[in-house]
Amino acid sequence: MKQIALYGKGGIGKSTTAANLSAALAGEGLDILQIGCDPKHDSTRMLMHGTWIPTVLDLIRERGDESITADDVVYRGFRGVRCVEAGGPEPGIGCAGRGIIATFQLLERLDALKGDVIVYDVLGDVVCGGFAMPMREGYAQEIYLVTSGELMSIYAANNIAKAIARLSRRVRSRCTLGGVICNAKNIEGERELVEEFARRINSRLIAYIPRSRVVQVAELQKQTVVEYAPESDQAAVYQELARTVYGNETTSIPTPLEMDELESFALEFVQV
Amino acid sequence: MNSNPSPSNSSRFEGCTLTGALSVLTEVRDAVSVIHGPAGCTHHNFSLLHATHLANDRLEVPRLLSTRLTENGIIFGGEDALEETIAQALSLSPASVFVLSTCIVETIGDDVAAICAKSRGVPVIPVPTAGFLGGVFETGVKNALSSVASLAGPADAKTLSANLIGEKNLEYGVDENAAEIERLLSRLGIPVNLRFVRGLGTLDIGRLGSAAVNILREPALRPVGEDLEQRLGTPYVDSFPVGLAGTCRFLEEVGRICGIDASIAVEEERAHQAEMLGRFDDIAGSRVHFQSPHPMLRGDPGAEAICTECAEALDLSVDPDGAAIPLPYPAPVGTAGLGRMLHRWRVLIREKRRG
Repeated sequence: MKQIALYGKGGIGKSTTAANLSAALAGEGLDILQIGCDPKHDSTRMLMHGTWIPTVLDLIRERGDESITADDVVYRGFRGVRCVEAGGPEPGIGCAGRGIIATFQLLERLDALKGDVIVYDVLGDVVCGGFAMPMREGYAQEIYLVTSGELMSIYAANNIAKAIARLSRRVRSRCTLGGVICNAKNIEGERELVEEFARRINSRLIAYIPRSRVVQVAELQKQTVVEYAPESDQAAVYQELARTVYGNETTSIPTPLEMDELESFALEFVQV
Repeated sequence: MNSNPSPSNSSRFEGCTLTGALSVLTEVRDAVSVIHGPAGCTHHNFSLLHATHLANDRLEVPRLLSTRLTENGIIFGGEDALEETIAQALSLSPASVFVLSTCIVETIGDDVAAICAKSRGVPVIPVPTAGFLGGVFETGVKNALSSVASLAGPADAKTLSANLIGEKNLEYGVDENAAEIERLLSRLGIPVNLRFVRGLGTLDIGRLGSAAVNILREPALRPVGEDLEQRLGTPYVDSFPVGLAGTCRFLEEVGRICGIDASIAVEEERAHQAEMLGRFDDIAGSRVHFQSPHPMLRGDPGAEAICTECAEALDLSVDPDGAAIPLPYPAPVGTAGLGRMLHRWRVLIREKRRG
């Protein structure tokens, strides 16, 4: 079983990438589980054709965790991809990070963490220990950073690299960086910039996903691109990503940039 | 601040902020304290307070309620549970309710003060007590004293009387120490107005502002003294008296603040001290040496000076081969406290003589 996690700045396209990746992996005949680890709980929505599935934490809140079964929290979407949403507390109260930990403990107890590939789609930044849960021992061994060429997005990716570097120092840790995925915003020189960033943090660009209108159109149809336009160039990009990730055996311990390195890197690449 | 009642091992430094606050708040006898956190925080403190009261011959059950938070309360926020527990507290018809926070609810950011601010007909007062913020037992005591004081307004007029502020409610000698202060003040003709906080009802707190002087239990309570001075206009003496000369200075200071000539009182107290020392003539000239009460414990910071002063007064010589005398914690209060301390010295000196 391969367990991977996608991390990246909020709004960068993690969920779109994750859902299309899962759909494409399922197209290879693999059994896929995708777990959305964001209180916004919209990770699996395109796989579920627009349905908001009940979140693990909603169920825990409504009826306690005693009577919950795997069927209550795992829903089959497009191509049989099994979908889970962790959910979270109401915005502005409680502790979402602890919610992620509780979700994982419940999924463990329900023996729901299985399949050929588990895809964890995690909130924008590793704001506390709870959101690093998918990186811990026994969960994702490969982290993929999703970023565009925008500096704030690279800054967030660098922060996540810090978390990976920290966790990988632990005894028995198997958490490594699988690579960087550029989800492009159509900025000039974007591919080179992200490629160079990946190199500097001791990783590599494993996929470049160009900006495409078909992503938005598919989303309006509440579908992944892989389902809505299977013959499109964009679908081919996701299929290629799926093959690369599934076959990826080159991972690394990242060497995140210091703030001044990040700033000088920005100056080198961004034409003012 | 000491929360261990045993006179033989009476040192407890640092400790839990919540425990410090509850040592004060449970002395508002018609109040209920709500502890917002896991049940264990309440149970632990309930046990400690209950056992301490029993050891001090008080058959009393601390009036504590827990919001009994579990993991779901942490994930989804504990504010609803707090509302429910405050309602439960109010159903017991208390005259006031204190709401104490714990480490975990401050970590997740439950807004305890905002929940307490709702009007309920009975004062519901938040007391910040999350220990992980760096506070210790003493921080809890200070926060609780300030919170209780928020129930008092400035008095119409000051009367010639004194408040005792922040007595160590869990110490073995708490009432003896208060009696000693009462005795000393009576030399100046000053009665005690309020023991703040010990054995009070919520309505009594209204009298807080009418004393002419506040007498703090120890200098660590100065921020509370300042706070009360600012709010209620009452000047303060920063500590119960310690030592022979210190006790006389205490009388002078209280006299100065209250506009009373203390010279006769001081003279009478000196004579009283001489008479007290006279009762220990039998150990005069003995050899003693002072040591920490236990390798794991520190003595009171001022204890050594007090011991040296008494040794000189009794013509004792300090010698490494002398009888081992543990430095007291806390420092004995007033002349009566010294008398009790010297009594223990006599026992140790006699034991040493017998070998």
